Amino acid sequence: MEKILLRNIGSADSHTLASYTSRGGYKSWQKVVRTMKPEQLIDEIKASGLRGRGGAGFPTGMKWSFVPKDNPKPKYVVCNADESEPGTFKDRLLIEQDPHAIIEGTLIAAYAIQSHTAFIYIRGEMVFGARRLEQAVAEALDAGYIGKNLFGSGYDVDLIVHRGAGAYICGEETGLLSSLEGGRGWPKVKPPFPATHGLFGCPTVVNNVETLAALPWIIERGAAAYAALGTEKSKGTKLFSVSGHIAKPGVYEVEMGYPFKKFLEEDCGGVPGGKKLKGVIPGGGSMPVLLPNEIDKVNLDYESVQAAGSLLGSGGVIVMDETTCMVRAALNLARFFAHETCGQCSPCREGCHWMEKILHRIEYGEGEPGDLDLILNIAGNIAGNTICPFGDAAAWPPGAFIRKFRGEFEAHVAEKRCTVGH
Amino acid sequence: MDPVKITIDGKEVVTTKGKTVIQAADDVGIPIPRYCYHPKLSVAGNCRMCMVEIEKMPKLQISCNTQVAEGMAVLTQSPKVLAVRKAVLEFLLINHPVDCPICDQAGECFLQDYYMQHDRQASRFDAGKVHDRKRTIFGPNVVFDGERCIKCTRCVRFCQEITGTDELAVINRGDHSTIALFDDAVLDNPLSANVVDICPVGALTDRDFRFKVRVWYLQKTPSICPGCSTGCNISVEAYQNRIARFKPRINEAVNSHWICDEGRYCFHDLAGGERLTTPMIRQEGGLVPATWEQALQAVDSGLKSAAPLAGILSGRNTNEEAFLFAKLMKKIAPDCALEVFYQERALTEVQKILMSPDRSPNFRGARAMGVRDGGFEPLVQKLLAGGFGGAFIVGEDLVRSAQDPEAMRAALKKLSFLAVQDTRVTESTQIAQVVLPSAHFGEKEGTYTNRKGRLQKLNAALIAPEGALQDSEIFLRLLELAGENNGYATPAQIFAALGREVPDYANIDYEAIGDQGIELGGGGAS
Repeated sequence: MEKILLRNIGSADSHTLASYTSRGGYKSWQKVVRTMKPEQLIDEIKASGLRGRGGAGFPTGMKWSFVPKDNPKPKYVVCNADESEPGTFKDRLLIEQDPHAIIEGTLIAAYAIQSHTAFIYIRGEMVFGARRLEQAVAEALDAGYIGKNLFGSGYDVDLIVHRGAGAYICGEETGLLSSLEGGRGWPKVKPPFPATHGLFGCPTVVNNVETLAALPWIIERGAAAYAALGTEKSKGTKLFSVSGHIAKPGVYEVEMGYPFKKFLEEDCGGVPGGKKLKGVIPGGGSMPVLLPNEIDKVNLDYESVQAAGSLLGSGGVIVMDETTCMVRAALNLARFFAHETCGQCSPCREGCHWMEKILHRIEYGEGEPGDLDLILNIAGNIAGNTICPFGDAAAWPPGAFIRKFRGEFEAHVAEKRCTVGH
Repeated sequence: MDPVKITIDGKEVVTTKGKTVIQAADDVGIPIPRYCYHPKLSVAGNCRMCMVEIEKMPKLQISCNTQVAEGMAVLTQSPKVLAVRKAVLEFLLINHPVDCPICDQAGECFLQDYYMQHDRQASRFDAGKVHDRKRTIFGPNVVFDGERCIKCTRCVRFCQEITGTDELAVINRGDHSTIALFDDAVLDNPLSANVVDICPVGALTDRDFRFKVRVWYLQKTPSICPGCSTGCNISVEAYQNRIARFKPRINEAVNSHWICDEGRYCFHDLAGGERLTTPMIRQEGGLVPATWEQALQAVDSGLKSAAPLAGILSGRNTNEEAFLFAKLMKKIAPDCALEVFYQERALTEVQKILMSPDRSPNFRGARAMGVRDGGFEPLVQKLLAGGFGGAFIVGEDLVRSAQDPEAMRAALKKLSFLAVQDTRVTESTQIAQVVLPSAHFGEKEGTYTNRKGRLQKLNAALIAPEGALQDSEIFLRLLELAGENNGYATPAQIFAALGREVPDYANIDYEAIGDQGIELGGGGAS
């Protein structure tokens, strides 16, 4: 399979402008500015079938088209580089080793909605990544790819790298915008939506790193070439961050629709040490865990994973073998969500900590018979009732773990100890 | 405004475009519970208590942020809605301290009320509750309890959007989120105690009212604040014939949902002090108690004997009292100088949101009734210069309010006759020849006209102490002694009479003034 997103990665200097342009970098950007109209560009991306790679999978071209063209307010593009979904580290790879692809993609998105100010909001903990991005932006500025009257076209654009301060909720687009505006990273009630009322109340598009990094290739080779890859509804390729009990963890680029089981057993080398697979989370810590027999029928695309009862999400594949205690795994994730809940709305603020406290009790031998159903009930009361999808993200894992490994949880409660060998 | 037809629980409701479902429901009295929504603050959407079911929408929606649309069908009592209300209440209660027995909010608490209406389940929570700061002083009037707080952010939004003083913020994350003062801020803006009114629970409480009395014992009377001429609508809340607190009443034409701190607590001064309970006449050794007959007779002869005469009425006297006062003084001396107390001070921008620069709530009404003669300041200057022989001062202590109290004291002492009518012992009563005990604003019924010309009604919340009389009754008795008996006695009757003599007040039905008041024909500032 020809690599799109990982095509530039592999050399020690891949992050430099010299390396990037030697491989044809910024040719797409020039093509866009010199020869394309914004509507044309939006149509091209729509035709490519590119969908958001941050987790929601929303069609990118359609998202751009929601920005009102006759609105007098300034428009903003924000690259969401706040990668914090547990088990996901694909954006980090691109940020550190191919920052120019991200920059070029962000600039192309800016042009599509005629924005003159673009931001890259990068997770506060990624200090090295931010440095790489800032160096790359400086290089691009010097070389005339960012700035005023680009290529004599009259189009201006500025690109600012903004560091976050360590909050998962700032990866939610309106939480990100609140933070970028200088406030608490609290998501905003929707409607209105960022396309009409985003950053500083102006029309804004927020796209994920991986989504933007695909744009230069699509412009270079055409929408049809991208749409030729993948399935009918999930076009192109996706990065998967594979971790856990797997022989070859790492970031993989896979064509959409590729069989999940084959991917794990062949490409990733399968579960090492002769152990049996017990469960896999397909799309990052918020997504429901899948059982081995469920994986057999799943292909790596949005529709197939959804049909199996989970979601492709960010593509964070967490592999767990038979030595994994699912109670501990559920507790681990519950602790993450309890730590990261912003606390704005009642169900999430109170419910996340409550679930963690109950799971903690179970893990440490003080589970009560009614605890499992209580957790399911709490999760059900959070999901769908919150300001942003964080509530759903926090509610799905405990629910899925308990439903799919009920016997193990019940044994843990009854025997007041873990019944799985570590 | 474009009309929009929706149905709520099957009932057709005609509302207007741009309104949200919760506003449409509020307009027709269909109850939807809420914490963070407040009609005067921006939409926060964080409590999730106002969720409703809307046909064709798969998830429940918060009614505070859902715009009405033609044909929208809203359900506020469906099983899903009832279940989510129980769920939200359970979530809010898991870390909420069971402080009810010691919490001032009990009896007017949204958690208590909604729990009784929508929940009534036992708690399933048995892990440790999160602890936070208790009884933390936020400012001179407000104390905060972090454990009781449900993070609705009404207080934060109030300080951002209404006063613009920005003292409060939410800090920390998750279930350790709490409300705090910014850096070195103190919650002392001129409207600070309104956050107590809008806090749905006992997280923000009034320091002045703390532990005074349980709210269900309070007798609540709608009235008007006597602090200044803005005329904020208030509820005077009393227990055992003593004012426990003021609360604002909603009047969009005057004060919206707010009152200022000065007005809120002014009853301590205006309804306080050492109450006068018997008329007194000055003899050789000092003031001695007298009967009303004796005292009124003394006032009558005293005023008739001293010239020139000055009559100074308090800005807190009603239109009815002012009408009688003007009649009385002009009957005794047609050329007497009459003025209503009026002093101005500079106000800050935040104070100007509600307050007027004076401390005379009914100066405009009094002047309309004829208590007007070239200005209060000139009259005071003439008094200080020894230009009067006698004076009748009602409801004000000129010594206390004077720029130079000793000069005023000396000037009053020089008068050949001084009668003072007031509610309590003051510097002025100590100088008077005759002292008449009267009732204060909380013990009287009548009307005030605010600075902008709105006629509003005071209602008596308390019974005046035995021995004190209503100002209107005193004036009527003095009028009789002066030879005039018009046959009216009650505030309503006096109001009808003044309506016959003061053009702007003609043809107004006293009973129709109601609790929102009415605009007078005149309009404009006086």
